[in-house]
Amino acid sequence: MTDWLIAIDDTDDIGTKGTGEIASEIGELLQAADSAGRVSFVTRHQLYVHESIPYTSHNSAMCFSYSGSLSLAQIRQMAIAHLQQECAPAADPGLAVVDLALLTDRAALQQFGVQAKQQVLTKAQAYQLAEQLHVSLSEHGGTGQGVIGALAGLGLRLGGNDGRVKGQFQLGQADAEPQAYSVAEVLQQTGLDGVLTDQGEWLADDATLWLAGKVKAVFTQGRFALLVSAGASGWQNASKQQLKDY
Amino acid sequence: MIQQIAAFVLRGEQWVFRAGRDDFSAARAQAASCELFAEDDEDEQIDDELCSCYNCAYRRWLADSFHCTKR
Repeated sequence: MTDWLIAIDDTDDIGTKGTGEIASEIGELLQAADSAGRVSFVTRHQLYVHESIPYTSHNSAMCFSYSGSLSLAQIRQMAIAHLQQECAPAADPGLAVVDLALLTDRAALQQFGVQAKQQVLTKAQAYQLAEQLHVSLSEHGGTGQGVIGALAGLGLRLGGNDGRVKGQFQLGQADAEPQAYSVAEVLQQTGLDGVLTDQGEWLADDATLWLAGKVKAVFTQGRFALLVSAGASGWQNASKQQLKDY
Repeated sequence: MIQQIAAFVLRGEQWVFRAGRDDFSAARAQAASCELFAEDDEDEQIDDELCSCYNCAYRRWLADSFHCTKR
């Protein structure tokens, strides 16, 4: 059993399948090929927005973990085939894969991720670091600029304090009228690790949550967390406005 | 139409939203009057009100605002 992180970036364009969806599909392909393997949630990581960065759509990278028996060659073969099939014609996709057991300098990869949120980086810098850290990094169309975000996606995920979880959770909640759930129920139904308040407090299993509308999670302190804030009736799921800074 | 034009300013070749990145009321009002609004990928939306320029597939984020690719 090997623990991998896999990230992709710059795969979409207006009106095409989103990068998060493509990442989820790659995860499903790996799961189908290795039923005993484990594929995690996909996390979305916002990168630096600057006029000199020619991103196609949002400049956000997507990352997930896979623990299983597939080899690097098998993972890459499936991921690349899917990227080639699904990426938008105008996209500049990049793919990064790392075996966590072979990653000796985690700090360097995390630092690259942080830098990619704050400044303009180059493909040359990405390839140089990938070679140094034994990260598999490759481009699959267009300018290949997505290698920067893909490598950064690995670093940000590894750092454990960045990103929103792709998708939303359905617990039977209504769109408008909040319904009561215990923290334990939510964790059991969603597979999330915890419920975190916007004040930084992890709630106990017996705390009551009032959920409505879209229930989304974030990746923080190395955990997949439902973010809540104090509302009129108690703890309620965070709004998209509250989630936008993750 | 006058209101739509006033909501954006031409910066170089891009029509940039004057109200910036955090004025949700302005983004909703603008989208409500726009025939070209198109919902972006759900994971890229940041406004709970669906019809908002901040949720539009045609906005491209800038450091201080966004520009509309349909103008």
